[in-house]
Order: sequence, then C-alpha cells, then structure tokens
Amino acid sequence: MLLAVLIANSEGNILVERFNGVPGEERLHWRSFLVKLGADNLKGVKNEELCVACHKSVYIVYTVLGHVSIYLVGKDEYDELALSEAIFVVTSAIKDVCGKPPTERLFLDKYGRICLCLDEIVWKVSSPS
Amino acid sequence: EYSPFSGIEKGAVLQEARVFNDPQLDSRRCSQVITKLLYLLNQGDSFTKTEATEVFFSVTKLFQARDIGLRRMVYLIIKELSPSADEVIIVTSSLMKDMNSKTDVYRANAIRVLCRITDGTLLTQIERYLKQAIVDKNPVVASAALVSGIHLLQTNPEIVKRWSNEVQEAVQSRAALVQFHALALLQQIRQNDRLAVSKLVTSLTKGSVRSPLAQCLLIRYTSQVIRESSMNGQGDRPFYDYLEGCLRHKSEMVIFEAARAITELSGVTSRELTPAITVLQLFLSSSKPVLRFAAVRTLNKVAMTHPMAVTTCNIDMESLISDQNRSIATLAITTLLKTGNESGVDRLMKQITNFMSDIADEFKIVVVDAIRSLCLKFPLKFRTLMGFLSNILREEGGFEYKKAIVDSIVTIIREIPDAKESGLLHLCEFIEDCEFTYLSTQILHFLGIEGPKTSDPSKYIRYIYNRVILENATVRASAVSTLAKFGAMVDSLKPRIFVLLRRCLYDNDDEVRDRATLYLNTIGGDGSVVETDKDVKEFLFGSLDLPLANLETSLKNYEPSEEPFDIRSVSREVKSQPFAEKKAAAKKPTGLGAPPAGPASAVDTYDKLLLSIPEFSTFGQLFKSSAPVELTEAETEYAVNVVKHIFDKHVVFQYNCTNTIPEQLLEDVTIVVDASEAEEFEEVATKPLKSLPYDTPGQTYVAFEKPEGVPAVGKFTNVLRFIVKEVDPSTGEAEEDGVEDEYQLEEFEVVPADYMLKVGVSNFRNAWESLGPDFERVDEYGLGPRESLKEAVSTVIDLLGMQPCEGTEVVAANSRSHTCLLSGVYIGNVKVLVRLSFGVDSAKEVAMKLAVRSEDEAVSDAIHELVAN
Repeated sequence: MLLAVLIANSEGNILVERFNGVPGEERLHWRSFLVKLGADNLKGVKNEELCVACHKSVYIVYTVLGHVSIYLVGKDEYDELALSEAIFVVTSAIKDVCGKPPTERLFLDKYGRICLCLDEIVWKVSSPS
Repeated sequence: EYSPFSGIEKGAVLQEARVFNDPQLDSRRCSQVITKLLYLLNQGDSFTKTEATEVFFSVTKLFQARDIGLRRMVYLIIKELSPSADEVIIVTSSLMKDMNSKTDVYRANAIRVLCRITDGTLLTQIERYLKQAIVDKNPVVASAALVSGIHLLQTNPEIVKRWSNEVQEAVQSRAALVQFHALALLQQIRQNDRLAVSKLVTSLTKGSVRSPLAQCLLIRYTSQVIRESSMNGQGDRPFYDYLEGCLRHKSEMVIFEAARAITELSGVTSRELTPAITVLQLFLSSSKPVLRFAAVRTLNKVAMTHPMAVTTCNIDMESLISDQNRSIATLAITTLLKTGNESGVDRLMKQITNFMSDIADEFKIVVVDAIRSLCLKFPLKFRTLMGFLSNILREEGGFEYKKAIVDSIVTIIREIPDAKESGLLHLCEFIEDCEFTYLSTQILHFLGIEGPKTSDPSKYIRYIYNRVILENATVRASAVSTLAKFGAMVDSLKPRIFVLLRRCLYDNDDEVRDRATLYLNTIGGDGSVVETDKDVKEFLFGSLDLPLANLETSLKNYEPSEEPFDIRSVSREVKSQPFAEKKAAAKKPTGLGAPPAGPASAVDTYDKLLLSIPEFSTFGQLFKSSAPVELTEAETEYAVNVVKHIFDKHVVFQYNCTNTIPEQLLEDVTIVVDASEAEEFEEVATKPLKSLPYDTPGQTYVAFEKPEGVPAVGKFTNVLRFIVKEVDPSTGEAEEDGVEDEYQLEEFEVVPADYMLKVGVSNFRNAWESLGPDFERVDEYGLGPRESLKEAVSTVIDLLGMQPCEGTEVVAANSRSHTCLLSGVYIGNVKVLVRLSFGVDSAKEVAMKLAVRSEDEAVSDAIHELVAN
C-alpha cells in the first residue's frame, strides 16, 4: 500500500501532502520524521538521486528535485523497488510541468498544474499541457 | 522569498470562490481560485460541512465553461470536496455527459470522479459506459475505468464482477499500463477461486506480458499458486522455470521480484536458490542504493534458513560495511555474522569495530544478537567475540543496548564452559563503572551463583566488596548477598568474608545492615573454616516456593499474638490461569532474569500442590491437568470452576471457588458430587475448604478412584455446600452462628481427550517412520454435512485433544481437502501420532480418513473408537 506522498521545500515546509489510510495522529509523526530524514541525508545529493530508508517495517524512498524534496512511503507490496518506480513517475511529471527541476517559486507558480498531473498520472504524462 | 500563496487565508479564499457564480466566467481566474483551494487542502487545512457544501454548489456552475484546463481542475476539486449522496445528484448528469465526450481526457476523468463519489444505484445506470471504457482505444480512458473498478470492488463487488469479459480483453491490451491495471483487477475479481487464478497464471506465463509492472504482479500471483499447490503435490515445482526465466528480464524490478519470489518458496532447495542468489549478488555492487538495499535485505532473510547458500556473496557484502546508507551497512554485517565461517571471524570483528560507533542503538542491538549466535555456533572463537562484546560494553550506550550485551555475555558463559572465567572477569570490570543499578544487581546475583564454582573464587571478592563501598544502597545490599553466597559455598573464604560482612554492619542503610546481620548469624561458625549447614544454604539462597502475592496477603492478615507467624499457613495455590503466565515466562530470553532450566509447566505447579496435600500424596505421578472448566455463569454470587487432575488410578477434581458477596463468609465449604452417571468412578476422599471470605479464592478437592490405565469417562453433577455467616462490611467481623446452605453448580464430564497430553513433535515424518506400522490402524468415516471444512477439522482436533503439528491446524480458505497431523501422549505414557485426511464435496458432506500409529495397539483402537462414537 502506498501510504504517503510528501513534497517539501528546502526548509522543510510541506508543499503537498497526500496520505492514504493513515490516521490523523500518525500523520503528525510522519511529517516530522520525513522532514528530519531529509534534513539529515539530502544535503549534497544530486537531482533525482534516490535515497532509501526503512522505518518500522515501512519503506521510504526520497530524492531531491531542484529546490524541492519528494518522499514516498509504502509498505507490503509497495516495497523499495515499486516506490522507486513510482517516484520516477512523480519526478518526471513535475519536470514536464515546470520544464526543468523547479525552484520553490516555480513549483508554487505551477501548483495547480502539478496537482492535476499528480492526480492524472497514468504513465508518462500524456494529457495535453 | 516570493510565494503566490503567501498570506493565504481560508476565509478570504472562500470569499474569492464567489467568482464561480459570475454569469461571465473568467476561466483563468477560476482556475487560480481552485488552485488556492487545493493548496489549502494540501497543507492539511479542512473545510467544515457548510463550507464544503457551499464551495461544491458554486463549483458545479463551472461545468458551463468550455475551457479544458478549468474542467480538469473542476474534476479535481470535486473529488477533494467529497460531496454527500444528496449533493452528488446535481453533478451526475454533467458527469455522465462528459463520460461520453469526444475529449479523451474528459471521459477518463469523469469516469474517475463518478466512480469515486457515487453509490451502487447510480453505478448500475452507468455500468454500460464503464464496460465500454475498459476496452476503449485510448489507454488513459481504459486505465481510468480499470482503476475505478479496483476501488469499486471494495464496495460493490457484485457489479464489478460482471465486467470479467471486458477486463480479460484488456489484459491482452498492447498498452503496458492498461495490461497492468487489468491484470490487477482480474486477479482481485477471481481471487476466491483458486482454480481460476491458476488458469490465469498458466495462460499468462506462456504468453508475453509487456509491462514490467504487470510482470511483477504475475510473479506474485505465480508464487501464490505455487504455495497453494505444493500443499498437496510432490515432485518438480510448477512454474519454477517461469520464475527462473524472469531472472533474465531487462527490467531490474522484474529480476528482483523473481529472485525474491524464489527465495521465499517454501522448502526451497539449494539448487533452486542458486540462480536467484547469483543475481542478487550482482545487485550488491549496483550504484543505486535502492537495489543494494533490496538485495542485502533479501540475502539477510535467506541467510537465516540457508546460510551456506549465501556464503558466495561474502566478499561483496564486506565492502558494503562501509556503505553510506546505515541500513544497508547493518544488514550487511548481520548477514555476514550469520554466514561467516570460523576462519573469517577475526577479520570480521576488526571490520565491525569501527562501524559500531556510527550506528544507532537499535541497530547495535541487532548486531549484538547476531554476535551471540555466532559465538554459540563457533564456540572456539569465544575469546575474540567476548573480547569484542566487552569492549563495546565500555563505550557509550543506552540501557537496552548494554542489557543486550550483558545478556549475551551471560548466555555465552552458560553455554561455553571455557568462557566462564574470562566472562566473569569482563562482567566484574563492567560493574566497576556501570551507571545502571538494575544491571549491577543482576550481575552481582549472577556472580554469586557462578563465582563460587570457579577454580579461584577469591579473585572476584575485591570487585564485589568495592561495590559495598562505592555504590548506592540497592547495589550495596546486592553485593552483601553475593559476598554471603561466596562465604556459604566456599568454606576456605569464610574467615575473610566474615571480616568484610562485619564491616557492613556499620552501613547507613537498613537493608544492608539487616542482610549482613542475617548472614553473619546463619552462615555458621564465627568465621572459622567450617561447612555451612545444607539447610541453612537452602534457607538463605534457595528459591521461595510460595507465590509472593499469597505471602503478602497472609502477612497482612496475621495478627500479632503469642503464636508466631507460620509460613506453612500460606496457601501454595497459584491463582487461576496458570497456563497463560507460565507460557509468558517461557518466552523470555534466557538472560540474567530467568533460570537456565526449561520453562516450568503448569503441571509442575499442580504437581507440587497436590503432593503437599496428604490425602492425595499416594496417587503417584500426575499425568495431566485440564484447563479450568467454569461451573457457574458470569456475575453469580459464587464463582466456581473445576480443574480435572488425571492420575493413573485416580482423578482429583480441584474446585476453585470465589465468594463475590462482601456481606458473607462461607465456612466448611465442600462439593457434593453425584457420580451416578460415571459408573467406573468411586469417591475416595475429599478435602473441604475451611473458610472462604469475600474475594479470596480457595480450593476444595474431591478424589475418585477409577480402574487403572482405563480411560474411564463419565458425567458429574455438583452441589456447593457450606455454612454461611453474615459479615458486617464496615467492621469485617462475622457473626458467631451460621446457616447451612447449598448452591447448585453445572455438571461437567470427564472425556477421552482428558487422557491425552498435547505434546508436539518437530518433525512429524521422522516420528511417523520411527513409530513403525506394527500398531497402525486406518479407517474411514463420514462426518455428515458440516458448516465448513474448517469447522469439521477443529471439531475433530478438539475431540481427540492432541497437538497439531507443523501448522496443519490451519485450513486454507476455499479448499476442498485438507491433511492434518496430530501428536500426543496417551495415559500410560504411550506416544500417539495421527494423520487425518479430510475431503468435502459440493453438498458440504465431509469424509475423513484416520490413520493412527502408536506404541500400543489398544491405544490405536481407542482413538478410533473415540471418533466412531
């Protein structure tokens, strides 16, 4: 099960979050955990270079794209390899919409489009831009 | 830094949303407002019901606009707002129109929105369109319908199952993702029908599946089919060739999925594992951390069951010890610790030493456990390994971590006699500087047990006595006890121990002084070299056989008088549910806490208990005690349950009684048992319960004689008889006179299963072969129509009262047949093994074949009679 998708800026403020089957109190824990994970490990990481972690039988794959960091959390069949496929699709979608790895400003400028694309992702984004 | 959403506030945005109601719609402006609404929701903000309804109604007006971008935003916001059933009706017609639109993206999204917000009734109306959409040329539309189907399967399965044919067609689609979604949906539709799933897998593994994601799914379904078929069959594993072929796929994800599936096959052989391990070994040196992590994680699991198969990867794994990702490094180390050979231990330890300081405590504990297992595997290497453990003990670390290390050292000392002396010294050095009182006291206690048995006990005295000088009161008291133990066990040390103990008489703390006084006065002599009396040793250092709770209650009830407190008056009865407590105790790891002997069983407790009662002391060895059987309903005035104790020639019924009425005291409590329906039993003794006050459980016993070695059965009716005295709850005093009274209890039976002990065997096949066919009896029975196969199996298991082996008590869902393996020990200490084969037909009639092997023909016959009746 894909438990969460989180996109944050370089300061750790969350720009987009999507949870699936995670109760409210747990979300707070996940937000702070993921942001801390990024703060500890994403310095100096290249664009789209994947990082992987494991926390309480749950897998996390995360990366940096421009000035935003993207986290995917999954368990059971969404193990680290399935998550790495999924994160590739997310980063491709964002790059397509923004034209390049985005700064925070560019990301927010294209916010609506990004939401649409995240929703409509099928494979490589095939909908008209 | 500038942000388009800086200062955004929910109220203001909701005001802006009024722009949706304008007759002249500004598409761009509307899109922006929707974006802001989405931003708010994505930040964790939420709308109240009223706000959501208002926004929803305004949004519906936007269907008039023709702008494609705006329409797509409208779909998105509708899904976020989750309208209720009566609100949904407003947009239904617009969405249904869009479902047939020429614009592909409208069709796809409208389908997804409708399926998300609608309920069953509307679904039947649009079903036709959904079926068409599944086989639509445009893959986006097809996927939208299929994914919606997957979601709808949870709430409206009957409807979705009607789409089987279309979904089947979609599985053959050329578009990779459509194939993936269709396969997932098809499997979910058919998952309850094993045969259908098996057919699906067979046809697809022969054909070509384009999408790597679909391949992964197929590999998982194949594994499931293999698992289910191997329960019955033997010989070559079906579909193994397919899995092995996937190891050469171009997508890494597929390769890995296949490798993992192979390693997880039940009963996998080394030959089958080899290609999978080869591939995983290649992943170990991949540049992608995800692949390295996946590979090392899988190899770690394999190493638990097939360490030899993984040794080929040792070199690659050693290079992972310095991996930047700490999870990968830890997994690599623990795997190496499992697969390492004796000659490599020293080198491995050197590499790990630097690594330990980098990782967190929870990882360290994992490594410590692995080192302990390694030491037990290679006992000759204890010096290196224990040295390593003692080094890390000196470093920084939390309580759990240090405890794990200490437990490991203790285990090594216990299992490897040569390691004792050096191990004890390591522990002594540790307590010189230990910040955890708990650990210090445990170690001192352990020293007291093991130290005196060593060749030169005196060398530990200094360490122990230092604790008396330097530490807190708890540790000092513990050290005093330890010194005393040395003095009691090692006569030659007595004079010096006495000197040290005398100094302890001046300690600040009561407990320390009391203990010192006690030991000085009891150990014997006045410090000369004499042997300490055995009884004294038992008194001082033997275990207290009384339950502490009972001792506490008795002490509280004792009133100071001429007569001293008599410890024999403390009842030894363990309160109800001894099974659960003993089971929990057995699961604790053998660290410092639990004694090294095997887990004490409830039989031991009952055994001692019954032996202490003179009337029953001649009955011999206790064979079995049943679980408590309730003889009263819940919430009654008197709660009684009975435990049936089975001996060779007797049965003893232990009635556990509780009085739940605070205003009553019961005295001379007995049970009058009517055994007219138990002809083979004859009552021979009873032990009444003198007093049963409020809320203190007590026991009364009735013993019956029965023919020796015969598993006699019968029904027993019971009446509780007693004298009841009124009690004044405020003073707690009872009246002088009482009234005789009776209370009817439920009846219970002694059944054949009471004569069977549940004793499992680890390898059923070996045990079956070794029993031999001499006393084997096989027969078939029709069990008639039953509720389900599972229910029939459980009923027979309960009837026989035997222990299911190798997990065969679990019946797979929807299976038509099942084999169950049972083992037990029958009264007379006769080993019995049973093989049950069940089959169920479409009319739910269950047939059973029973094969019994035992050491005694009569017993095999008896088992069959059990079932036949």
